[in-house]
Amino acid sequence: MTGFTQIALVTDIPEGTMRSYQVERNRIVVCNLGGKFFALADECTHDAAPISDGKLEGGNLVCARHGAMFDVVSGAVTGPPAVIGIDKYEVKVEGNNILVRVD
Amino acid sequence: MSGKAKNKNNDIASLGEDYATKYGFHDPVDYFHKGAKGLNHEVVEMISRMKNEPRWMSDIRHEALDIFVSKPMPKWGSTDMLAEIDFDNIYYFMKPIDSKKDSWDDVPDYIKNTFDKLGIPEAEQKFLGGVSAQYESEVVYHSMKENLKKQGIIFLDMDSALREHPEIVREYFGSVIPAMDNKFSALNTAVWSGGSFIYVPPGIDVSAPLQAYFRINAENMGQFERTLIIADKGSRIHYIEGCTAPVYSSNSLHTAVVEVIAKEDASIRYTTIQNWARNIFNLVTKRASVYKNGTVEWVDGNMGSRLTMKYPCIQLLGEGARGEILSVAFAGTGQHQDAGAKVIHAAPNTSSRITSKSISKDNGRASYRGLVKVYKNAHGTKTSVECDALLIGDNARSDTYPTMEIDNDQVKVEHEARVSKVAEDQLFYLTSRGLSEDDARLLIVNGFMEPFTKELPLEYAVELNRLLELEMEGGVG
Amino acid sequence: MNTDNKQTKDTASFIPETTPQLDLGSAWLRDKRQESRSVFNGSPLPPRGIHLWRYTDPSIFLSKHLTQDNTSITKSLDGPRSDLAAQLESNNISGLVTDHADQEITVQGIDAIIDQGVIVCSLAEAVEKHSEIAERHLYQLINSDTGKFEAMNCALWNQGIFVYVPDGVTVEKPLYLYREAPPGEQTQFPRLLVVVGENAELTLIDEYSGGGSENNCYANAVIEIFGKQYSRTRYVSLQQYHTGVSSYLTHRAQINQSATMLTIPLAFGGDTSKCNYGVTLNGQGAESDIFGLVFGTGRQHLDNHTLHHHVASETLSNIDLKVVLRDKATSAYTGLIRIENDAKTCEAYQVNRNLLLSSGTKADTIPELEILNEDVQCSHGATIGPIDPMSVFYLKSRGIEESAATRMIVAGFVGSTLKMLPVDLRENIRTIVANRLENL
Repeated sequence: MTGFTQIALVTDIPEGTMRSYQVERNRIVVCNLGGKFFALADECTHDAAPISDGKLEGGNLVCARHGAMFDVVSGAVTGPPAVIGIDKYEVKVEGNNILVRVD
Repeated sequence: MSGKAKNKNNDIASLGEDYATKYGFHDPVDYFHKGAKGLNHEVVEMISRMKNEPRWMSDIRHEALDIFVSKPMPKWGSTDMLAEIDFDNIYYFMKPIDSKKDSWDDVPDYIKNTFDKLGIPEAEQKFLGGVSAQYESEVVYHSMKENLKKQGIIFLDMDSALREHPEIVREYFGSVIPAMDNKFSALNTAVWSGGSFIYVPPGIDVSAPLQAYFRINAENMGQFERTLIIADKGSRIHYIEGCTAPVYSSNSLHTAVVEVIAKEDASIRYTTIQNWARNIFNLVTKRASVYKNGTVEWVDGNMGSRLTMKYPCIQLLGEGARGEILSVAFAGTGQHQDAGAKVIHAAPNTSSRITSKSISKDNGRASYRGLVKVYKNAHGTKTSVECDALLIGDNARSDTYPTMEIDNDQVKVEHEARVSKVAEDQLFYLTSRGLSEDDARLLIVNGFMEPFTKELPLEYAVELNRLLELEMEGGVG
Repeated sequence: MNTDNKQTKDTASFIPETTPQLDLGSAWLRDKRQESRSVFNGSPLPPRGIHLWRYTDPSIFLSKHLTQDNTSITKSLDGPRSDLAAQLESNNISGLVTDHADQEITVQGIDAIIDQGVIVCSLAEAVEKHSEIAERHLYQLINSDTGKFEAMNCALWNQGIFVYVPDGVTVEKPLYLYREAPPGEQTQFPRLLVVVGENAELTLIDEYSGGGSENNCYANAVIEIFGKQYSRTRYVSLQQYHTGVSSYLTHRAQINQSATMLTIPLAFGGDTSKCNYGVTLNGQGAESDIFGLVFGTGRQHLDNHTLHHHVASETLSNIDLKVVLRDKATSAYTGLIRIENDAKTCEAYQVNRNLLLSSGTKADTIPELEILNEDVQCSHGATIGPIDPMSVFYLKSRGIEESAATRMIVAGFVGSTLKMLPVDLRENIRTIVANRLENL
């Protein structure tokens, strides 16, 4: 499936919060950081926990299970015990709709 | 073969017959400041102030205490045994003397006697560069040979390292094992005391192994040492720790955290033999991060303790990094050695090898819990795991729980495990040559452990053989 | 249109009292169904933290559609599949049982074995007409205690199939069971009970097919097999559902003294499939082999579990599970060999080989051992990797082009497993494997 899929509404995700969605086989967490939206894989690379169960803090996603941290913008790992970053998805905002590109 | 057996017996005899005295005595409990039992923010603050720590370390401790309280106990493994731990009934801090001693002569007699029996003076004469010895929760004695100092190698107890090199400690403390990693790493982060700190500057090859001793003494004492080893680019180091403790009637807790970092082209070997007393809970988190073309080897021998949970881990984070884990466990009656190994391949063209040997005797239980994880980017991974378990007796138990998670197709992953008893034909061969069945069995067990013992410095190998012999006889604990 | 919903289908974890299947059968059976229903309703989903559920989301196996809606089914076949009909014609199989996800199962061609005293009928009929033997065996190996999804089947299985081979009887040719899942949003609860008497012999081919390519059919199957002492059983489980099916399957067999059992799980189909095969070696001298083949393509997720449980002495078990993956298929394999404290002089072996044919595939494997006494010989091994490039190079240097070389190597890889199959089935499976290698 190429192209963008509608995943969420802008009004559903206030600033500084995140929400989890399922698009086919992909679990995706959509974050609102300073008014900009980012979409990343909602699965911690350390032990497969849903990152959306954790916190969005200071530009980082913090996994609730063991404290792994990932940069919201790039998905890069910023805190142990994870050692690999999470995949990020391309995001487009059209009006009140947030779309992601899922392959 | 019988000739070799005779020589081994001579070595064992020369260690001294008073094994029971050496490992089975108590010192008078005469400490400087004896903290109250139980754990709360006040105790944590007391620990931090006693050590004169910078505020950022106190903050880390307090935050870790909250994490410890919030995390549940593990729901896997020997949950019954874990339930025996009474966290409120443990001393989380002890300070034996009021200041560190540089010279061996100034160390108080009763402490010196302990180390005498553990053989430190001889060790120093032989091939060790320096000895950092921990007694209870604080290092009482350390000395550094001139050549180490000259090369810029830092080898200190953790408390001194925090005082004298706070920037390095701050940069690496918790960078491999965060407090949130598990309940016991959180506990350690809150109340850690003592342990070793080693920093090897770029290009330096530390020719002689660095060594540490430590020991639990008083009733209900917990050991929470924290070790941090950093080998900078192109350096090499071998670190050895071996520890022992007398037997107690109530349970004692040991949760150590060991963080090891091998930077590009660096090489670290970390050898441990432990023989904790049979009432000790030994719950350790040890993990190494290895960068480009670096190498880390864990050589890990587990004997004693009531329950050991320890899974040395190597994270291969740079291309060409290599890891090796050689683990041996002996579980006698009433013991559970829940050991294993974890390797994480998170870079291309990395390799690893895990060798695990375990012996379960009588009612002992030895488990292997392992993880081989290959991430999507780790093409060219080569990894092999080999587990061998020997069972001795009708009620011995062996478990193997190896997990492999492979997310790249250009890899070579192999795993093999075998479980069996002492081979009848081998026994027959040896007894028919005049050995008693006990001696024959001991010889076979020695042979089984040989891949491990040959990696140890001679003195350790001899000590390990002596311990094995006692375990086989049932003479320990 | 994607909704804020973590599950791929509408799910329900509650069986209403009015569900029709609960009223099917004798009083004894209705009681069992109700008991299972309350266990299902009262139990939580299995936790993701345990190895068995680490790689597959259990919520996939809940379903809102608990009954089969026969009015909307357009049957994909009016009679047995043509190749099966041919096999029946030419007497290559000793009978064909067809379960079209319909109310009635059909049994054909069993006249010869009926004369031997063999019983082949629906399980519902067995509970009614052969209650003594049915009640003695049904729910003994898989019941509401086994797990949440097994409890679901225990409450809601429909007609089911029953096969009984009396003591001393040898059923020469394989008996073929064909279960077809309907296309469209349906849930099926196939159930099988097999009793092979003392010194009896049976080969059973159990095929699960059908379903559609839309992601909405769910099949939850349970198989219980008893091999009495000195019996010889061969059980082939061929799972080749269409791509739209979620498949959950639990199999448990118990073999008694000196009995042998060969179980051949073949997992090819479904979107997500979780199969759990287990054999208890329950009598001295019993022997069990599990030779499995898993082949994933596209985006399939195939999760398999095997169990060999030694409770009697001098028993021997062997597992050989081969996994082949291409495209972006993923496989999970968990296995346990457990030898109890009073099961002396046992031998147990296990091998799991995973062949990854393209990037994007993922294999997870946790082969476990729990050994509770010293008098054992036990070993296991696992390998994961692509085809050895040297093997491909060797064949290419002999003029064989790459995709043909790959096909040859994979055929060699699965060859030893196929050899275990009844001759007539071998070619069929070989074709399935070859088809799955197309366009690699």
